[in-house]
Amino acid sequence: MNHILLFPIVFPILAGIMLLTVIKYQNRKPLLAYVGTVLGVNALWGLFAMFRVSEGVTVFYLTKSLPIYLKVDTVGRLFASLMVLVWLLGGLFSFEYMKHEKNEQRFYGFYLILYGVLFGLDFSGNLITLYLFYEFMTLTALPLVLHTQTKEAVMAGLKYLFYSFAGAYMALFGVFFIGRYAKTLEFTPGGVIDPSVFRENETLFFVVAMLMILGFSVKAGMFPMHAWLTAAHPAAPGPASAVLSGIIVKGGILALIRVVYEIIGVDFLRGSWVQQWWMILSLLTVFLGSLLAFREPVLKKRLAYSTVSQLSYILFGLSLFEVQAMTGSLLHIIAHVFIKVALFFTAAAIIYMTGCKRVEELRGVAKGMPVTMWCYTIVSLGLIGIPPTSGFISKWYLAEGALHTGIPVFSWLGPVILLLSALLTAGYLLPLSMRGFFPGEGYDAGRFAGKEPPLSMRVPLLIFAGLTLGIGLFPNVFTNILSAAADFLM
Amino acid sequence: MEMILNFPCLCILLTMFSAIISSALNRRWARYLNTFVVTLVGILSAAVLMFTLTSGKSYVYQMGHFPAPFGNEIRFGSLEAGMALFFSVIMLLSLNGGREKIRMEIDPGKEKLYYIMINLLLSSLLALVYTNDIFTAYVFVEINTISACGMIVITEHGRTIEAATRYMIMSLLGSGLFLIGICILYDMTGHLLMEYLYTSISNIMAAGTYRIPMMVAIALIVVGLAIKSALFPFHAWLPDAYGYSTVSSAAMLSSLVSKGYIFLLIKLIYRVIGFEVFFGSRIINVLFVFGLAGMIMGSVSAIRENDIRRMISYSSVAQIGYIYMGFGLGTGAGMVASVFHILSHGATKSLLFVAAVGLTDASGGHKEFDELTGAAYRNRLAGAAFLVGALSMVGIPLFSGFISKLLFAQAAVQSQGKALAALVVLAVSTVLNAIYFMKTVIRIYTPTDKKYEVTAFGYKVSYAITLGCFILLNLLLGLFSQPITNWITQGLTILQ
Amino acid sequence: MGGNLVQNYGEVVAMVLFGIGFTNLLLQKNMIKKIIGLNIMDTAVYLFLAEKGYITGHIAPIIKNGDFSPDTYINPVPSGLVLTGIVVSVSVTALMLSLTIRLYRRYHTLDLDEISTRLKKEGR
Repeated sequence: MNHILLFPIVFPILAGIMLLTVIKYQNRKPLLAYVGTVLGVNALWGLFAMFRVSEGVTVFYLTKSLPIYLKVDTVGRLFASLMVLVWLLGGLFSFEYMKHEKNEQRFYGFYLILYGVLFGLDFSGNLITLYLFYEFMTLTALPLVLHTQTKEAVMAGLKYLFYSFAGAYMALFGVFFIGRYAKTLEFTPGGVIDPSVFRENETLFFVVAMLMILGFSVKAGMFPMHAWLTAAHPAAPGPASAVLSGIIVKGGILALIRVVYEIIGVDFLRGSWVQQWWMILSLLTVFLGSLLAFREPVLKKRLAYSTVSQLSYILFGLSLFEVQAMTGSLLHIIAHVFIKVALFFTAAAIIYMTGCKRVEELRGVAKGMPVTMWCYTIVSLGLIGIPPTSGFISKWYLAEGALHTGIPVFSWLGPVILLLSALLTAGYLLPLSMRGFFPGEGYDAGRFAGKEPPLSMRVPLLIFAGLTLGIGLFPNVFTNILSAAADFLM
Repeated sequence: MEMILNFPCLCILLTMFSAIISSALNRRWARYLNTFVVTLVGILSAAVLMFTLTSGKSYVYQMGHFPAPFGNEIRFGSLEAGMALFFSVIMLLSLNGGREKIRMEIDPGKEKLYYIMINLLLSSLLALVYTNDIFTAYVFVEINTISACGMIVITEHGRTIEAATRYMIMSLLGSGLFLIGICILYDMTGHLLMEYLYTSISNIMAAGTYRIPMMVAIALIVVGLAIKSALFPFHAWLPDAYGYSTVSSAAMLSSLVSKGYIFLLIKLIYRVIGFEVFFGSRIINVLFVFGLAGMIMGSVSAIRENDIRRMISYSSVAQIGYIYMGFGLGTGAGMVASVFHILSHGATKSLLFVAAVGLTDASGGHKEFDELTGAAYRNRLAGAAFLVGALSMVGIPLFSGFISKLLFAQAAVQSQGKALAALVVLAVSTVLNAIYFMKTVIRIYTPTDKKYEVTAFGYKVSYAITLGCFILLNLLLGLFSQPITNWITQGLTILQ
Repeated sequence: MGGNLVQNYGEVVAMVLFGIGFTNLLLQKNMIKKIIGLNIMDTAVYLFLAEKGYITGHIAPIIKNGDFSPDTYINPVPSGLVLTGIVVSVSVTALMLSLTIRLYRRYHTLDLDEISTRLKKEGR
């Protein structure tokens, strides 16, 4: 019975492989029908499986002590549900967008395989399973980055690969060492470290913990390992950038949550230099990311820097080891997914309809694409943190959580930097809206006339904007669930 | 019951006789005989493996009429039988994968010579695996060297002759050291059979006499075999030999020849020198350091290569470094990891060579990376097989490479003092591996508009089946590693 | 220790010859000299074995006057080992010489390093 968890993982992978090798569609319509059916069926099955199954499933034993083990818990359900929503809407969006790119079938093939792999990542029950799906996620996302095959894309892909592997091996290094300290590698809230072994080798333990954090943070673009993100996300085609910035990077965050909260256990790290350095690096990234976004003229690259910054908000919240901050982080994960995907969809829609890539070219764009730009503006307000959007709620929780912890310096420094970054965020997101709606004198009125993107592109934007507002207006249902989850993890 | 005990001896004799008979046959019949013999050896070894697994003991088989300690003996347990099976499987697959190239690259008059060499190689590998006598081991080590040289030089152009000469020089250096070590050992103990050597050596070490000569003899033997199996820095011959010979030679050299010597070394460590003596000596530190150096330098040299075959060869240098690092860790777990890596590397490296030849043939015979762009689209199966091999080398879970690295890491963590160095170098070397392998994978999967003369080579059924079997073997080692590790551990304990 | 060396001068000579042969094989540039070094190395091993087989005062292991006691004869085993070794050495020398001839026919030099540089320039 529990093995139905395997279905949402295996089915899209097989479907994707078939699409890449065996099936060859001449027309678009059957291709889109195929992809859409797989996405939809798998979404239903995945949601069904994750809300019905509560025990773990051992798929098989890689070695005697390392089983491939799947288990669904609240955090996993959260990530998987977000992923399903984004994947469905992303599929819808790309049906239209990919009209002007080549090699569509290859794109969809890897899109489907990645769908299955991400289910596996979210359902992982122990460290080895997580590592397995993490590596596969890196590998199957690579062709999406490389898709356009321009020189820029290939360089970005290689950078992505190199950074990702370096990070994964740093983490693997940690995994090997943790084996000595841990009683089991299964994810258990509160950690699995044996206190007596810990006391023997404290320094080594902290070094290992730091390595694992740094290794998984590469995927989340924490300074100083963020360079791949700002190269890879803009180079990928529109919908791929969106899912990269929205979901793939969250893979790194999921891994961090699992490792720090459910393997290492926060009690061991509280107050140590590991926590301090994590907070320092994440705050630094928050600020630096916003600053670099502020100065970046190319729209997609600006959004990539924004991702770097926003992810570190989440990392900062995770590093505080406090329930409220953790709730804020989890909430910000949800908020950021919707917002960032919507932002990238906007950029993709603009590129698709007008071909413009730089912000300065986009004066008066809202006259021609009103719906798009309204959605953009709403989600931007969400990212800045203005009520009543989801971003406001999450940043509130983060700031409050920071103040609650009472850690010297960081408890006030954190909120200060969050505030500064919010100002910078306004500075880099709002000008597009303002110049778009109020272009002033001497702009090319005809340029953007009638360039509203078709319905299949508008619908995802509207849904995400709506969700951003919705969560902001009715936060309690989410905050309760997430607080409970955060509490459970500590 | 009795019948099965004869099989190992039968295998060795069979291969030797087929080598002799092949010299009188024409090339088609030599090929058939060779395939038949290799398959038969595989089947017989599988039977022996089943038998020894169920009984759990190792058997001694007398060769000739004189009993021990005067006569010659074979000894086999589950590990030896399994290794013999593995060697024959890899040989069969490598030959199949390179069959077309053998036909194309070797003069028709010389083709049967090639099959004679292969038969001799198999016989020497079997003898190295099974023998219980140290001087017989030396003789078959030499036969191994000579047949390997023959395999390299069978396609005659400047590069291969020079490669073969370099190979012979290096190998003979190693053999010389090995031989003098054996002679010193014989001098001190008066025995040539391994069990008696073991008891003598234990007595000598316990009594404390002849400490220095014993250490010197052990060092000479170990260093001799290490030189022959291309441990860094004695690897200079490797890229030329693997890079320019015909593909089945390259596959067999990388997977079988060096592994034969390494397995002999393992046998000597367990059965002659003795675990405690070996791990108590300084020699494992030397092996450890050179192993680490090889892991890094091999990968660094591979990154700089522009020719795909030479890149794969340098990768072999690194992988042999892994195996010696496993020896150098000085624990039983390290030895298990090394033996697993022998299997994993043997399977993966021959896969890479056979896949690479498919890719180069689909690119008009060019081996440089510029010409290989998009090769995976011209020959899909070879591209997929290369991808599998690359993922395994990089250490992606589900493939055999990941299990090897896991076993090495677990062994490293257990050994005090060497853990940090081993793990750091393991991580660095894996990242380096990822660089050049993934770069190649991206390149072969980048579509290009250049047209190449595509031979029908890649689509022949036997080639496809070979690649399929290789991929299956790799996945088998990756997914079902637990029974294999158990078998290795059990085999090593009864090796003594 | 000095006394031991003088007493076992045969083995000492063997070891010195082994070193000479090994170094020649490793370091000489000329192929023929390398092969000569190889032969010296192998011959040194035979000398060592022969020395080790010999027991002072005993005679060669051919039964004489119906005397079967082992105390009359030297150890026959090393002679067998030497024979095997000679066979191996001869085959290997023959192989090396044939390779040298082929190289010489192509490149007209006996220097292996020069051949390598020439091959690199050829770019094959």
